[in-house]
Amino acid sequence: MIEVRRLEKTFPGKHGLLGHDAVKAVQDVSFRIPDGGAVSFIGESGCGKTTIGRILAGLENYTAGEVLVDGQNLATVDRRQREAVLRRVQLIQQDPYQALNPARTIEQALSDPLKVMAKARGADTAWILQRMEEVLGLVGLEPEAVVHKYPHMLSGGQRQRIVIARALTVEPSVLVADEAVSMIDVSLRLGVLKLLRDLREKFHISLIFITHDVASARYVGEDGQMFVIYKGMIAEQGPTDDVILHPQHPYTQALLSAVPVLKGLESPGSDRYIPLKELDHGQSPENACLFAPRCPFAQPLCETERPALQGASGHQYACHYPQERHVVAVALKE
Amino acid sequence: MSAEWPLKANTKAVGITIRDLEVVYSTGQGQVPAVNGVDLDIAGGQITGIIGESGSGKSTLAMAIMNAVPHPGRIVKGSVVVDGVGNMLTLDKESQRRARGRNLGFVFQAAQNSLNPLTRVGHQVLDLGRSHNVKDLRGLLRRAKELLHRMGMDADRVLTAYQHELSGGMRQRVGIMFALVLDAQVVILDEPTTALDMLSQASVLEIVRSIHEERDITTILITHDMGVVADLADRVVVMYGGELAEEGETAEVLAHPAHPYTKGLIQAIPRISGDLSQAVALSGSPPDLKTFMQSGCLFYDRCPERVAECQVKRPPYESAGPERKVACFRVMPHD
Amino acid sequence: MSLAATTEAPSKNSPGPAGHPSFLKNAWRVIAKKPGRLLGLAIIVLFTLMAIFGPYLYPRQLPINPNAIYAPISWHYPLGTDFEGTSNLALIVTGARYVLFAAAMAAVFTVVFGTALGLISGYYLGWPDSVIMRVTDFILTIPGFPLLVVLSTIWNFGQPMAMGFVLGITGWGGLARAVRSQTLSLRERGFIEAARTLGLSPFHILFKEILPNVGSYIAMNLLLAVTGSIYAEVGLFFLGVVPFQVNNWGVMLNLAVFSAGAMSSTQALPYLLSPLLALLILTLGVVLFLDAVDEMFNPRLKEA
Repeated sequence: MIEVRRLEKTFPGKHGLLGHDAVKAVQDVSFRIPDGGAVSFIGESGCGKTTIGRILAGLENYTAGEVLVDGQNLATVDRRQREAVLRRVQLIQQDPYQALNPARTIEQALSDPLKVMAKARGADTAWILQRMEEVLGLVGLEPEAVVHKYPHMLSGGQRQRIVIARALTVEPSVLVADEAVSMIDVSLRLGVLKLLRDLREKFHISLIFITHDVASARYVGEDGQMFVIYKGMIAEQGPTDDVILHPQHPYTQALLSAVPVLKGLESPGSDRYIPLKELDHGQSPENACLFAPRCPFAQPLCETERPALQGASGHQYACHYPQERHVVAVALKE
Repeated sequence: MSAEWPLKANTKAVGITIRDLEVVYSTGQGQVPAVNGVDLDIAGGQITGIIGESGSGKSTLAMAIMNAVPHPGRIVKGSVVVDGVGNMLTLDKESQRRARGRNLGFVFQAAQNSLNPLTRVGHQVLDLGRSHNVKDLRGLLRRAKELLHRMGMDADRVLTAYQHELSGGMRQRVGIMFALVLDAQVVILDEPTTALDMLSQASVLEIVRSIHEERDITTILITHDMGVVADLADRVVVMYGGELAEEGETAEVLAHPAHPYTKGLIQAIPRISGDLSQAVALSGSPPDLKTFMQSGCLFYDRCPERVAECQVKRPPYESAGPERKVACFRVMPHD
Repeated sequence: MSLAATTEAPSKNSPGPAGHPSFLKNAWRVIAKKPGRLLGLAIIVLFTLMAIFGPYLYPRQLPINPNAIYAPISWHYPLGTDFEGTSNLALIVTGARYVLFAAAMAAVFTVVFGTALGLISGYYLGWPDSVIMRVTDFILTIPGFPLLVVLSTIWNFGQPMAMGFVLGITGWGGLARAVRSQTLSLRERGFIEAARTLGLSPFHILFKEILPNVGSYIAMNLLLAVTGSIYAEVGLFFLGVVPFQVNNWGVMLNLAVFSAGAMSSTQALPYLLSPLLALLILTLGVVLFLDAVDEMFNPRLKEA
């Protein structure tokens, strides 16, 4: 289980951590994931969702807050323990080609972490080979067909499966999938998403799914929690289907509107709107709603006071004027 | 056409007729037909979406329309007739060059590669104008500004910016501006939204849609994302392994896909409403070098509906109803 | 629920289970592709054999022939003779050992120091980086050739090992900087981050993940270091700043120019040209072979 309380990450600017150009990448983010559970973080590129994933994988430090993995606080455990704890959290990166060493075969890539595991439990080479076949089988690849290949000889989908197989070698309890399918051909994405979903069900591996695509988040974690992140803060959070079907925050509604409408199968939601203005990466005033500059429904209050999360404990949103809008496409009757 | 849109609109939309087009890539293992015997009519004034996986030949087809297939590719035969311009494949070099930019605008994949990283965007607009002998450079800049403004950007800032100062979504819009600034009647967008997040993608698509309507141009959209085509295109053309698999009116194809590959692509789209179990992954790998060599249907190995005949003979690309063509033995015409 | 339900078909354009070419097999495949590369390899092998076995082909004291001083090129003396009537070919062959051995030593020093220090400096950053880079800057500012001239006044370079050591010590700076910058960019790559989160040791990351990716770079530098060192030592001997106790191409050049007057008379021309020819052919071999190195180490080009 992972529990995160009031996580904060500030990247120092030229004038240091407190300088005016320091970037608050993550602010006041709290969540928990039970074993086998799913949490998805939704937002645009540059909204801070990737930083959350990198912090959980131990690749980035955090400025404030607490991160507890299976009850152990990352900040207080000693170095050795920290390594062991972090090994239980594996990151699946966006670009599977970057994530695999181009100079090493799949066999080499998988046997390295397996050797470490084998040493820890006093197992022999036969165990390594057996585990290798096992994890490749789990991700739906034929061992003989891939082990002797280099990453560039595989398709994008196959590469991402190898990355997932490599993560499974260390028997993680949490997978952090950061835009794990966005570099893969759309036709092959669903296969990888299905794999992630199956791993959850079969091994109770928790999944943290970081994406800009609401539909794929729903596919892997329909029963989980969804967090909509804007400029490092939670804009809306709640059970996945609740957030998708009853979005209250205008930003959530914009993200849902952005999902393509399939002509001939669906008709666009009656309130669908798409903001043309791009995300600006500058500092936002402390006392204004972060989304106000792009929000079509902004009122004067939004410029002067930052909204806090409100709503019933299950489904919360940081908006002064929450209102449900029909932005999701409606299926046409056949 | 609104009042703040004083640009000259094209009176007659330009269509493109492609006949028996064949493009071959020379690789270490021999000649690979990236585009093989393609016959396609692109209707003027419509948005045509060409969809295919990596290796389907869709980008090569787009480059072939411009007669700009990169090395080691080579157009072996066929014709690409652009209304009012002529056959792009037989025109003299200078007319071809003039046609690119003036008549045919091209928006490159992930636009960053098409911008010069060392000069400001505004300079590149001027360079483009000079190379096309535009007399009124001031007017050209004004037009570029209007286009940028139209796409929701701070035009003055963008024109004085270098490529690296722009986000992915902004670069893509700048790419669209370059394609349109010389008043091209045909705009070809190659993977315009790949590498963009959903919100940027949606706004770029919205921009393409509204500009298309305002200017009555012909738009060709190349993508691997069925969702993008389904949202934006009037007509969809499905490519597989260098050949056409299916084409038709978008709503019609999505509601009643005929080719098993098209069905697979549509089923593989995760949806935000409805039953998740309806989404089914497409099995197998995208076409590769060996796919082209098999004598039967190119989709044979991945096809859930294959029969014995499919392995030995390649299905012809035939009419299957009004405005509809399919290459599949399992589809009976008029069924 | 079957996890393997969505098995992707194996891609067909790559070797099957049997195809896992060893490095040597692959290297041979790459070299055999172009005749130029084969020629390069042949030249390098020829010179290596010459260095190893050359001295055994001739008596310890090369025979002199007072009747054939500065003999022209003939069947008996394919490269002519020197001032004592000794065959130039014999001089070249027996002289190869010192030259090549010293050059190989220098190249090995350069590559080992340059690679190890570059990797450590680029991967760990922090104080190891600062220390190593200051030392590297210092090494880079030492003018290697003049240093050798100075050192030779106090040090006897009769042993090729000593010569190679000095050449190597002064030569690794550039490679270390280059390897460091390569490492800097590699350490940000996803697969290095993945190795860290998998709990793999820094030793493993440095030598198994990063090193193979700078392999072609290092191999190229190794070969260039060999030719560079050969020029340096031949230059030293040519200048005559090191004692003439050994057969050596540089010594031949020196004698040809300063004693035999090869610059003014055509008589001793073969004596001058034969070491030059040896250098030229060896350099040609290295250059031709370099063409294959990148492809040998670049996994993307393996089994394209």
